[in-house]
This record gives sequence, structure tokens and C-alpha cells, in this order.
Amino acid sequence: MGRKLPLALFAIGAGTFPYCVQRVFLATPIERQMGTVQKIFYFHVPLAWIMMLLGVVCGVAAALQLRRGSRTAEAVAISAAEVLLVAGLGVLITGPIWGHATWGKAWTWDARQVSTGLLWLIFAAYVLVRHYGGVGSERLAAALAIFGAIDVPIIYYAVKIWKTTHPDNNVVGSLPPEMWASLWPCLGALVAMSMGLLLIRTRHEKTEMMLDDGWVQIEDLARESADKDKS
Amino acid sequence: MAFHNGSILLAAPAGGDYEKVEGRDRETIECQRACEAVAADKTASDYDHIVWAYGVIWALFCVYGIMLWRRSERLSADVATLTRKLERMS
Repeated sequence: MGRKLPLALFAIGAGTFPYCVQRVFLATPIERQMGTVQKIFYFHVPLAWIMMLLGVVCGVAAALQLRRGSRTAEAVAISAAEVLLVAGLGVLITGPIWGHATWGKAWTWDARQVSTGLLWLIFAAYVLVRHYGGVGSERLAAALAIFGAIDVPIIYYAVKIWKTTHPDNNVVGSLPPEMWASLWPCLGALVAMSMGLLLIRTRHEKTEMMLDDGWVQIEDLARESADKDKS
Repeated sequence: MAFHNGSILLAAPAGGDYEKVEGRDRETIECQRACEAVAADKTASDYDHIVWAYGVIWALFCVYGIMLWRRSERLSADVATLTRKLERMS
């Protein structure tokens, strides 16, 4: 099951993708004000939701790692942060492409853009600390992940608190049914792909932890046998 | 297409005769054509933006997938090395 689940999720993602393209480009009407470029929405918004979800997952897992010393939680936190960077890069590239076509400017420094960029940078810092930090840096990294998770509600409420070029959160809820019918499969495909990547990366991390333990034990055994030979 | 005395004459096949279109003057047609050109430019620009956006998203996922696959290969090799070492020690 452990090995088959990511493959099943990839199969769902790959199988749904052609249907998404058919729905988005052939079955959904062109939005009146923005025109064809609005079709970026069907992947940009689900990616943003996935990025925020992974931020929360990483923060919660990091908190569990700090509180209970859970290695599974640690592996989930590292994996969620990495997949968040992929999804976040997708959001931060497709957003300005859409903005360039719609607002005439790729980056307007509005609160939602800045808070999203900040979230990505915090988790980039988390991944870098995890990768290059020395002994004990995992606690610092976990604290960074919890701090990053706090940014998620700021992203959500940014359009309510500050004046932004991004539309209000209610705009998604007010979509006509045919646009929702296209948004759901896109969200499903991207969630399936992201969760598949998350599961694989988590398994890698746990394998790496076990390998580290294995190498340490072998070194200890080798040292013990060398000491015995000397005595 | 050709214009003649304020009415529009559509280009006809080789015979050289033109079919007269009634009810629309030259200015209206030119205005309509200009609007259509703007709309066509906007649509072409939108398509470019969409191709870039969708390309970037799927390229990112593919690159990360390849990175995970390479990591998987490296871990398998590491596990094999560790197992061999354990066998030699026991």
C-alpha cells in the first residue's frame, strides 16, 4: 500500500489532467472582463490553496516534532516544505504572468503578493537550514516552520485587511457553476500530484534517517571490534 | 475586399465581378476591423501567457519528480552498500 498509494495518486493526476484541459479550454466560457487569460486561474488558485495547506501541514508537523520528538512528523515537515516550494514557485510565476496580462504589471507589491512571497522565502530558509544546518539546527528549523505557518492566515486575510489589486476572497465563491465544474478537476489533479510527491518525499526522508542510524551503528560496531582486538 | 462609393464590394473569383454589400458604410467596417484586430491581438497575447503559465507549472512538477527519482536511486544504492557492509561484518 505504501508504495502503491503515490503511484495511484500520480495515475489519478495524470488521468484527470486531459479532462481538466478539455474542461478549461473547451467547455468553460471565456470570462467577459479578462478574456482568455483568465484560464490561468484554474491552476493558479488550486496551487495557492495547496501551498497554504502544505504550510499548515509543515507547521503542525514541526510542532509535533518539537513537542514529541516524532521522527515521522519531522519527515512530514521536511517533505511538506519541499513540495510547498514547488507549488509556491508555481503560484509566484503564474500569478505575475496573469497580472502582466490583466493588470498591465506583473508585480504590484500588494499585500497578498508580498505575504505569499514571504511564505515561500520562510520555507526556503527552513529547507536550507535543514539541509546545511549543523547539529541542533532541526529545532531552529522547526521554529521557523511554525513561524511560516502563521503567515498562512495573513495571506488569506490580506485582501480584507489591506487594499490590494487581488480580488476579494468571495470572488471564488461567486463563480458560475460551469467555472466551478472546471476548478474541481484541476484542484483534484494538482492535489493528487502534490500528495503523491509528498508521500514519496516522506518515505525518502524516513529511509535517509534509518540509513543514518544504520551507518552510525556500523561505525560503533567497527570501533567496538577494533577495541576488542587491541585488548 | 474593395470599397467603392461608400459601399463595400467583396472580392469575387477570377471573373472580376463584385458583390455589393448593402447597409454598412466604409467607416463602420473599418471600425469593426480595428476592434477585431485589437481583440485578435489580445487573444494571441492571452494564449502566449497561458502557454507560459501552464508550461511553467508542469515543468516544475516534472523537474521535482526527476529530482525525487534521482534521490530514490541514490538511496537504493546507499541501502545496498549498507547491507553489503553488514553482511561482511556478521
